[in-house]
Amino acid sequence: MLYVENWAPEYGAPIEHDPALAPSESIIDVSIETATWEPRRPDASAADSIEAMCFVDGVRRVDARLTLDEPEGPISGLCGSLGVGATHWDRTIPRATFGNVLIERLAVVGSGRVVEVPAAGNLRYEPVSVAGEDPAELIRYFHGRMRKAEAELSSQLAAEGHLVIADGPVYETKPQTVIGFIKTHRVNYLPLEETETVRQLTAGTRTPLFLMDGVMFQKYSWYLKLADIPGGHTWSGVVRCEVAASLGIEQATFYADVAALLLPQTAPPLHVDPRAPQNLVPIGALERELRRNLGDPGLVYRALRESIGQSTNGAA
Amino acid sequence: MSVGRVVGTEKTSTQVFRVVLDEAEYLQLDDLVVVRTQVPQAGEIATYGIVTESEAVYEGASYESDTFRIAEHGILPAQKVRSAQIQVTRVDPEVWVSPDPGELVERASGEARDKALYADEMGRPLPVGIGRDNQPLYVDLDFFDGRKGGHMSISGISGVATKTSFALFFLRMLTGRRDIVGESGVNMRVLVFNVKGEDLLWLDKPNALFDDEARQKWEALGVEPTPFPSVAFWAPPRRKSGDVLLPDVAGRQEGVQPFAWTPREFIDEGLLRFLFTDAGDSRNQLSFVEERVRSQLQRWAVDIVGRPGAVVIRQPPIGGWKRGAEVKLEPGERVIEDLPSLVAALEEYLDPPDGEEPDRAWSGRVQGGTVSAFMRRLYAAQSRLGELIRAGDSNRIDRGKAQVTVVAIQSLHDLAQRFVVGALLQETFAEKEQTGQRLPLSVVVLDELNKYAPREGNSPLKDMLIDIAQRGRSLGVLLVGAQQTASRIAQEVMENAAIRVAGRLDAAEAERSEYGWMLPSTRARARLLKPGTMVISQPAIPVPLVVNFPFPPWATRREEVSEDVDPFSGL
Repeated sequence: MLYVENWAPEYGAPIEHDPALAPSESIIDVSIETATWEPRRPDASAADSIEAMCFVDGVRRVDARLTLDEPEGPISGLCGSLGVGATHWDRTIPRATFGNVLIERLAVVGSGRVVEVPAAGNLRYEPVSVAGEDPAELIRYFHGRMRKAEAELSSQLAAEGHLVIADGPVYETKPQTVIGFIKTHRVNYLPLEETETVRQLTAGTRTPLFLMDGVMFQKYSWYLKLADIPGGHTWSGVVRCEVAASLGIEQATFYADVAALLLPQTAPPLHVDPRAPQNLVPIGALERELRRNLGDPGLVYRALRESIGQSTNGAA
Repeated sequence: MSVGRVVGTEKTSTQVFRVVLDEAEYLQLDDLVVVRTQVPQAGEIATYGIVTESEAVYEGASYESDTFRIAEHGILPAQKVRSAQIQVTRVDPEVWVSPDPGELVERASGEARDKALYADEMGRPLPVGIGRDNQPLYVDLDFFDGRKGGHMSISGISGVATKTSFALFFLRMLTGRRDIVGESGVNMRVLVFNVKGEDLLWLDKPNALFDDEARQKWEALGVEPTPFPSVAFWAPPRRKSGDVLLPDVAGRQEGVQPFAWTPREFIDEGLLRFLFTDAGDSRNQLSFVEERVRSQLQRWAVDIVGRPGAVVIRQPPIGGWKRGAEVKLEPGERVIEDLPSLVAALEEYLDPPDGEEPDRAWSGRVQGGTVSAFMRRLYAAQSRLGELIRAGDSNRIDRGKAQVTVVAIQSLHDLAQRFVVGALLQETFAEKEQTGQRLPLSVVVLDELNKYAPREGNSPLKDMLIDIAQRGRSLGVLLVGAQQTASRIAQEVMENAAIRVAGRLDAAEAERSEYGWMLPSTRARARLLKPGTMVISQPAIPVPLVVNFPFPPWATRREEVSEDVDPFSGL
């Protein structure tokens, strides 16, 4: 059967197969929570003890592309800004607020070169270098820094006692209260029989937990349906969540139930977000807020041209 | 004390800007604010303004349904932002630059408030009500009493707009604040027509419902809250009251004097023309006949020995009757002692029996039909005017008797009302024309002005009101006119009113150009104004003010009259 995805096309699709990923992660055990695989609807009171939740996310933006004109040939680099932060959802009032916003600006140059970028107004770019010459490598490094900042913020908030919903997979062995929230399915981890359970999910239900083998550590994962999409296929509105296996099966089950109960409440209706319902309202709002904090791209670009142009002309 | 800052997401201008408010502050409509901006080379410029709209929004919400995500589910972070629109009233010193974004906005109080309202530039600021901040608001008296402008026009829906109440409140300020009014207040005379009910017949009685809250407001305005100290009440004589004239009023008898004109006064002052005040009368040639008859009467009428006020129509000797001449009545002559006898006398010349031609000396060269129409008007008038014309001792209204003269014409037919208004306005105006002096002032309060000076048609009364509107300012005759709809009033009368006031307006009426002086936001609000709230425009301030005026200390109905007079006082 054929369907049209409900994400706006420029955002890709919630299902994008990437066979390259398949060998790195694999299912170890699908029977750790229950032997019988069928959709599970948690008891509504399961989330009562959760008074607050933090949604952590990051954004990045290339402010300007740089070229270092050297005798041996041009070397590419970039100036980029990244921001991470959290939306604190206080369920008691209820109110949501932004917090822990951190903005970093990097001047990344390839071929192992470190270049000091003159301050553009009050914008200061941290000089860093990557070994390769491929421009894609600059972006990978830049993206990695954002992921690192997100992970640090998630750990920090979890250490402060919050339940954290982090955008993307969990890369942590510590038993911390961080639920990785994966919007895009690149690989189907489940065998055919268990996949059928995913196809049977309805809004607010989840699959049983399964144990997954990460690159360096193990984690518990589950599929969860955020919303029933009219005219959608069986995987529409389905996301995958994961926690570090070190939390233990009991904790993991508890958080799986909490996620199945609370995350559908924060899912936007289709018309509100181009990546609805997977791009949760607190995360979508946080992205907008972080982008705003990065500053106006036009103004930043102009300031960079001015400051770098002045120093280059001054030297020449 | 700052309430917020000038909004920087949109351009400010010398006309309008917006303020984003501090969490713990608010601004409401009509509040006054000041912003101080450092202008290069010019130094500090203060921009004064008035709040014309108040707004609030969730910043960060892009869909209306986001409101639920923010306020009910709490999953969407957002910032509640409250702001206010400001209309600039003044820039001081006069360097016309817009206020800087981000500048602190303060409530204008004390000296700043006076500046925002131009009170510091007013020659004689007279309080005309209380603002939202419970402080008095002012009009520049120079624009009412004729120095720089004159007259006041009050518009609003009947019943809820409290037009008459405001007019009286204004008069009380005028008579109560001698310290501000100054020489203009000396011997000032006020003529008020009571056209509906008997609301104005209790101006000298304390109001039993007057309370402390109202008292405080009056004190803030600087006037001792007492009824009008000097009022005389006049009413037309009751019909068929015999030899003794009794005033035609229902609620109040004591202190109300009957008034009437004698045939002598009627003829001398040419009051005949005020019997032809219907706007349609000017279209035909009635006025030619009326003019002719009026001047003919003035030449032919002569007093009768022993019959004060009455006249007889007799061919004058060469050179005319001497002023004050009296003749003995001859047999067969008709004594003119009231309107019916005057009409009967005129009938002999204009509508003779047996189909004879009218006397050309009286009718002029007009068609017979016109003369008949003239007579028909007179026949109709004789019953409508009732006892207003009668011989005997003079009972005319003495406007010098008290500061405020209330003339109760509510019981009269429209035609008779117009007659009385016309006669009294003419008298007032003629008096001032003779002296040519602006002082002492003569103030006339006239409700339902649209009856007397309608936009369409012509009448001697309308002509006179236009004359008063145009020349009255320099002669010290000041009109306080009230009407439901300014669009129904002769334009010349409206244009000459320096001070314009509106109470609650009909929504369609508020959109008319006559109310162009209001801000769009005030206009939108004009149909929601509560009784006791008025919008005032005056030449001295570029924006209209919204004022509250306090409950009156005088009674407006018989039931309100406070009669708790201590019978033993003074013992």
